[in-house]
Amino acid sequence: MKPTIDELLTRYYEGETTLDDEKQLRDFFRHPGQVPTHLLQHAALFQYVSDAQQQQPSTNFVGGMDPRPTGQIRQLTSWGMRLAAGVALLLIGFVGGRFYNRWQPDAAKPAVLATNDRPETASMKKALAFGRMSQTSASDRIQAVNQSYDLDEADREITQLLINTLNFDANVNVRLAACQALLRFEGEEGVRDALIQSLRIQKDPNVQLTLIEALVAIKEKRAATEMQWLARNQQVLEIVRLKAQEGAVALTRVSGSFS
Amino acid sequence: MDLLAFKQRILPVQNRLFRLATMFLRNREDAEDALQDVLMRLWSNRQQLDTYQSVEALAVQMTRNLCMDRLKAHARQKSVDQADLGSLASPQLSPHRQTELADSADQIRRLIDELPDAQKLVLHLRDVEECSFEEIEQLTGLSINTIRVTLSRARQRLRNGYLKLNDYEADH
Repeated sequence: MKPTIDELLTRYYEGETTLDDEKQLRDFFRHPGQVPTHLLQHAALFQYVSDAQQQQPSTNFVGGMDPRPTGQIRQLTSWGMRLAAGVALLLIGFVGGRFYNRWQPDAAKPAVLATNDRPETASMKKALAFGRMSQTSASDRIQAVNQSYDLDEADREITQLLINTLNFDANVNVRLAACQALLRFEGEEGVRDALIQSLRIQKDPNVQLTLIEALVAIKEKRAATEMQWLARNQQVLEIVRLKAQEGAVALTRVSGSFS
Repeated sequence: MDLLAFKQRILPVQNRLFRLATMFLRNREDAEDALQDVLMRLWSNRQQLDTYQSVEALAVQMTRNLCMDRLKAHARQKSVDQADLGSLASPQLSPHRQTELADSADQIRRLIDELPDAQKLVLHLRDVEECSFEEIEQLTGLSINTIRVTLSRARQRLRNGYLKLNDYEADH
């Protein structure tokens, strides 16, 4: 005997119905006009279900999704292939590096030989040459300045180069490096004068502070007047003025103790 | 998995995925977006698909998770797709009855939205997709007993909620 709709409904809510039973229920409730009133409360759910079953993505969505057949994509699936690819890349890098290294000295040599100087001096001069500032990077110039540490003694040319860098380089860090480098050559003629003059030239507080410290450190008494000028200058930062005042006092005390 | 296998195994279930996404997102465009996303992810992972036991189960889970993420991300008002309601009511019914029907479909939608996610999913798979319990077990990873209980709870909750909304008892 076929179970009635009421029996099916009871089993439906218990989750006991088979797929066929449920289909029967949906068919029964598909036509809302024919459903008896006392069963109408159940109709909404089945209508929702029947309705949801009809839903499909829009046709152009499905059509446009068919991907264009492209050429076979080869994947390095096996471990062996991956390993081999890795090793090959490593080898290429290695060989490339070797070649590069072998080429590099050949290219650099003639330029060094052309000048009579030691290689460090030559490349330093080249990097710090005033006209070339736009072509070299700041780190290049700092490196060139630092090359002066390799020199045991400096000639007039080198110190002049460093002084120029200290006074006129566009980059603060290069100027600072030049200032540090010049301190090593404080004994050379003109270096101390240049440092003192530079106090008036420098606009950057960092360089100003470094200069003041440097001049105090080498006990350059002649700088005291410049520092007092700096201490009175309203255009410089207050900390620089304080430092200059302090430096001036320190230097005059040094000279006082001498006299 | 190459193009052919992808076409044979994934594309046939896309309608199913679309309905699932629609059930969660309640918006045709969003559902299509989600479906496209799922298919895209499946396609870009096609090399690994063979390692899964059932690609369909994977796709169902992906769709579900994606929809959850979107719902969480937006937490926006879900707009009901009104276009589908027209087909629901047959023309020989009175306008009053038609409105009532559209209204009740709306109510069922809202009630389903309020169901816990597991109940939602099981109810959808069973009633809309007409999956057997074994299939649902495979798709969701739940045991058959759990599925039966979840399904029964979902259906009863819908009925009770609907009754409460319409207060049929008072009419009779």
